[in-house]
Amino acid sequence: MRFQDAARDARTVVYAGIQADPLVGRVAALLAEATCPERLMARAVMNGERTEPEIWRRMFPSLFGEGPAGPAARDRAEQLLAASLEVANRGDQARNQYRGAIVEELTARLLARRGALVKRERRILFDGVRAEIHPYDVTVESPARPEAYDCKWGARGIDADVLNQLDDARSHAADEEIELAVAIVVFDASRSAELRLERSTARHERTGLFALETIDRLGVRAS
Amino acid sequence: MTERADLLESAARAYQALAELAETVEDEWQYVTDLTEAYLPSILALAGADSGRPLSDEAVAAVQEAIVEIGLIADPHRAIDWLSTFPGIVALALGGSEL
Repeated sequence: MRFQDAARDARTVVYAGIQADPLVGRVAALLAEATCPERLMARAVMNGERTEPEIWRRMFPSLFGEGPAGPAARDRAEQLLAASLEVANRGDQARNQYRGAIVEELTARLLARRGALVKRERRILFDGVRAEIHPYDVTVESPARPEAYDCKWGARGIDADVLNQLDDARSHAADEEIELAVAIVVFDASRSAELRLERSTARHERTGLFALETIDRLGVRAS
Repeated sequence: MTERADLLESAARAYQALAELAETVEDEWQYVTDLTEAYLPSILALAGADSGRPLSDEAVAAVQEAIVEIGLIADPHRAIDWLSTFPGIVALALGGSEL
């Protein structure tokens, strides 16, 4: 089994420009330090119809009010609100691409907390197996225990193609006696992702799931 | 009805309307149904939780803003995203952690 950079076509070049936009890194950095309610707020804002900050402050009083959060937490929430509104203000088509890139960057940043060798847009090749066209969003290229992640903004993005590709990779790695951990990262509620998975007939019993409430676990080394 | 029950009844009606919009994405009918069947009872169940305490003005305003927000959605694809997000906002506003 070996990792390889994905081939770059016109679409990936455009998307690479979005991935490299400092706004993506800024939002991901804020999300990496955020609490679950703050991440819920960011998701709502980046999915939202309205872009007036006062509306979102009213919708999330526990983050912005005079409650127990304290000034440092309120400041963090304000920064995340402002950055999320920048994404929302990019318009419908662009915001879809930004949101995807943000989940990937957040995943990479959380994984890097373990000191792991984290890479992006990589294919995984196996001897005698036809290579998948689509690269994995984020990989951890540890010889001892490699990992591959597919990142989704919403649970709706979980489909049979994604699940099959992840499980095929895990299975092919096992054929080479390599334990490849595969998982989906979804910036959405766990419950919604679990509902999505329950209906899927694709193999996913050994595919991990990291959702809005559990995404911090990416930064914790598995024992 | 209590203020809490009234508010959550309004939230549930708004959520049901959002689900009807989302259902127009035919390929996702099953997922929309699953989300609605999971979350709608949870929203209504919040009416019975902590019913002895009056709601704060902030909590009422938060839920009302969320109801207005989902009422503005015209895109059924965005509606699917909000079927998953709205219940969490309502629960957070009313002091719950998640639905």
